[in-house]
Amino acid sequence: MKVVGITTQQEVYVGSKERNFRINEFLIIEDPYQGDLIGEVVEAQSYNKYMPLSMHGELADSSVINSLKAIGYNIEEDTIYIAKIRLLNEALYPIESGSDVRIPSFEEVKDLMIRSAADEGLVLGIIKNTDQMAENMDEEYKDLLYTFEEGKLKKQRDIPYIFDIKSMHQYPHIGVFGGSGSGKSFGLRVILEELMELNIPTLVLDPHFEMDFSQISPYLPKEKAKDYKDRFKCLQVGHHVGVRFEDLSRSDIKNLLGASSPLTDAMSNVVDILFRGRESYNSFYNRLKMLAEAQEEGSLDRIQRRIDESANDLDREGWQKRKELFLNYDKTCPYSSVRGIIWRLTRLENEGIFSKDIRPIEEGLHMGKLIVVQGSTRILQVFSTYLLNNLYHKRRDYKDAQYKNTTAEYFPPFIVVTDEAHNFAPKGYEPPSKSILKEISQEGRKYGAFLILATQRPTLLDETITAQLNTKFIFRTVRASDIETIKEETDITVEEARRLPYLRTGDVFISEASLGRTIFARIRAANTTSPHRENPFEELRNKLMEDDNKFLQVIQDKLPINGDDFINVIKEIEKETGETYPITLFEEKLEDLVEKGLLKKKKTPFFNIYTK
Amino acid sequence: MYNVNEELKEKIINLNKLLLDKYREIFSLDGTTLRNFIQREIGEVKKINRLSQEELSHITKKGGLLGVDGSNNRVGGAYPHFVEIYQALAKSTIHANEPIYKTDFYSPLCPENENRDNLENPLEEDQSIRSKKLSAIEVEVALEGVRRFKPYAVIMDGSLIRYDIECYDRWQELREECEEKNIILIGVIKDIKTYIIGDLLVKNGLLSKRELFYDRELLYGLLEYGEIIEISAGVTKKAQEGFASLFMRSSKAPSVIGMDILDSQREYLEEMARLVLTLTPQDGRGVPLWIDIVDREVRITDQLIRGLLESYLDREILEKLFISERDKRTL
Ligand SMILES: Nc1ncnc2c1ncn2[C@@H]1O[C@H](COP(=O)(O)OP(=O)(O)OP(=O)(O)O)[C@@H](O)[C@H]1O
Ligand SMILES: [Mg+2]
Repeated sequence: MKVVGITTQQEVYVGSKERNFRINEFLIIEDPYQGDLIGEVVEAQSYNKYMPLSMHGELADSSVINSLKAIGYNIEEDTIYIAKIRLLNEALYPIESGSDVRIPSFEEVKDLMIRSAADEGLVLGIIKNTDQMAENMDEEYKDLLYTFEEGKLKKQRDIPYIFDIKSMHQYPHIGVFGGSGSGKSFGLRVILEELMELNIPTLVLDPHFEMDFSQISPYLPKEKAKDYKDRFKCLQVGHHVGVRFEDLSRSDIKNLLGASSPLTDAMSNVVDILFRGRESYNSFYNRLKMLAEAQEEGSLDRIQRRIDESANDLDREGWQKRKELFLNYDKTCPYSSVRGIIWRLTRLENEGIFSKDIRPIEEGLHMGKLIVVQGSTRILQVFSTYLLNNLYHKRRDYKDAQYKNTTAEYFPPFIVVTDEAHNFAPKGYEPPSKSILKEISQEGRKYGAFLILATQRPTLLDETITAQLNTKFIFRTVRASDIETIKEETDITVEEARRLPYLRTGDVFISEASLGRTIFARIRAANTTSPHRENPFEELRNKLMEDDNKFLQVIQDKLPINGDDFINVIKEIEKETGETYPITLFEEKLEDLVEKGLLKKKKTPFFNIYTK
Repeated sequence: MYNVNEELKEKIINLNKLLLDKYREIFSLDGTTLRNFIQREIGEVKKINRLSQEELSHITKKGGLLGVDGSNNRVGGAYPHFVEIYQALAKSTIHANEPIYKTDFYSPLCPENENRDNLENPLEEDQSIRSKKLSAIEVEVALEGVRRFKPYAVIMDGSLIRYDIECYDRWQELREECEEKNIILIGVIKDIKTYIIGDLLVKNGLLSKRELFYDRELLYGLLEYGEIIEISAGVTKKAQEGFASLFMRSSKAPSVIGMDILDSQREYLEEMARLVLTLTPQDGRGVPLWIDIVDREVRITDQLIRGLLESYLDREILEKLFISERDKRTL
């Protein structure tokens, strides 16, 4: 390998007759005057001066090429490989043309490639095309992981990519970008596995219900399987966790009610006027409800008549109360806004948000666990606003107290992770969840609260937040507008941007502010797998089979069953299992099993007999 | 709008008229008549096929092919202020990574020129030395290649007769070596400059004008792809010099190429024609790819030569002797 052609202080071309170049591989140029200089291949080409064009621009047909081969000359051997190399550091002078070029040893690139010990950082994958340098790599970096490529598990042959989590203190927040199916969720999973490995308190907002870590990847050899069961917890909003209504402040409740679509000024006014704070759900709800009922009566006269006509004291008291509310609030709280608040409040209540609290989350974080909060995107938008505000301020209060030398309850630093981040912090409008994310993105570093935000659509993510993401994982991206955004927001080169649409699933450019350049990596094989990787059509089939088997089990010891005896058999089954079947359904099920060959049917003159 | 010079326009119209006049007769000759004439007077028109895989691998077993070509570059101005660099290359298909190169140079300013032909006119003399030098190194690399690789056949770029004329002694050496070792020696001629057919047409009274008509003009479009005309001994001068020749259409292009072989190896004429056909891209200009490859490799770019001269000649010598006023503008 030699430097060829015209050179500059930043870029050179290297040619070789024997060796094809790979993009992003590192090479050392032995400049006789400036010493060894390290560079990275940014473009690789192969060139055959005879193929497919012969000298004068005409096509040499393959029969001629084959004939030449038959008389001993293989035209392919005259292929020349050419690489464009960009120096990592600018040279003082243009590189000497003709300089020798060689593959670096591991020691020479170690500082460039490895920023953290394997047990202190996140072992996320391999740096691609580094296998030759990895040969004399220190043992501690070998055999850390597998990759999964073309349906096969592959041993680690390259230098590992270890994300230096400590650098987040200086360069906080991570963005994970990539189109559909590019490997974002898989990549997030690997990041989360590594965070669990290090017992870093982490909160995951999981709108896809996919971040469960109890299923071991089927491709992993048994002895390599890792058990994360004690390190994470899945909690569903409204089921395991929720908001304690009594704890809500006025702005909390407004955030909750306005999370999925903004409150009108009038609605906001209704909350300001009617919500007292530190009260129960019922007390607030009743106040709203009674005011609305009074307003439905339409006038003071009619409410008075209701009071007068009340059949008992309870009713009378109720209408008396409504009258007071009407007198106090009818002017300031228009009926339609009151209805609106009631509607939103009951919807949240029905979703169970107010039935639980966030204690399990706080406890989990205190224990250094990964807490996965699951719910629909809408519910998470609502809940996360409250949750993040709460957690972030606990952490902030603790740190502020520390600075001020007063005391506050300890709350650990933590990382917030979410997929579909553009739903929580969209560009162009201001849902409540955005303001807390923005706050964390801008000030979280000070307090030890960090974000990992994944999205298919970086263009739709709030720019202020995007600008704060110091590390970006960029998977395959096809959409031109997103490529533009990525070009603006990261330091990837023109050549790299051009490759974005063609990246393989799981291959990723990692642009790290702490490094000042982009690394081309492949995410390692995840140790666990998402719970719904099952093909929906297989799921259907399995479900059917499961049902059949269950039914077979139930009737097992009733066989043979006579067609005139269904009633009794059904009664028996009901007694044993508590399940009842209508006769027609029962018969249908038996027939179905006969059809599938699981039962046999004998015909008699009077009825059918079902046997094994 | 261009300002057309009226006189220039006139001249071109006149040129067209002159050429039409000259060629009217030929253009009006009908193809079949011409083909029949050729069959009768020049030699048989034959359709040949490409070599089969077995035949090709036989060639490989017997040592493959050696391709030979030369190049020249000239730096400087008009006589005698120039230097010419010659390079010849012999490259075996089997030992492609052992190319044999030889180089030489010539400048009329240089005192060395020992083997002058003592021609009266220094310009003619100059021309003769130049062709000799190139031919000589071509024959030399061929000879070395023959000795080193023992190929089945040698393809020279250009007519064999040229070597016979320009460097007789060394040529004889090559010729004998090949005949002795049974190595087939052929030349492939891209631009044929013979006028055998036209001569005979005139002699036989089929053409009235006593003008020079080149074979390439007459044969253009006359042959089908893969057809050859073996030129009978006796028709050409070449036969007397000890060569056998043929014309062939080796690609889809309508032009025709020539091929020479040693007379003593005449039996291989057709086989070699088939080899040439096999190695020539159908959509090309009719030149075997191997010759194109050798040609490409033997060529030196003008920039490289300049670079060399600039690096290794004294500045004073270079500027005073070899740099023309025109070149200075770009230096
Ligand atoms: N690093 C990897 N190694 C092996 N397989 C991978 C890798 N990354 C992703 N895959 C496979 O590719 C498929 C798609 O990946 P993934 O679900 O992560 O895409 P995504 O980017 O999250 O897409 P979407 O935006 O549609 O959710 C998955 O089935 C996964 O198994
Ligand atoms: Mg996904």
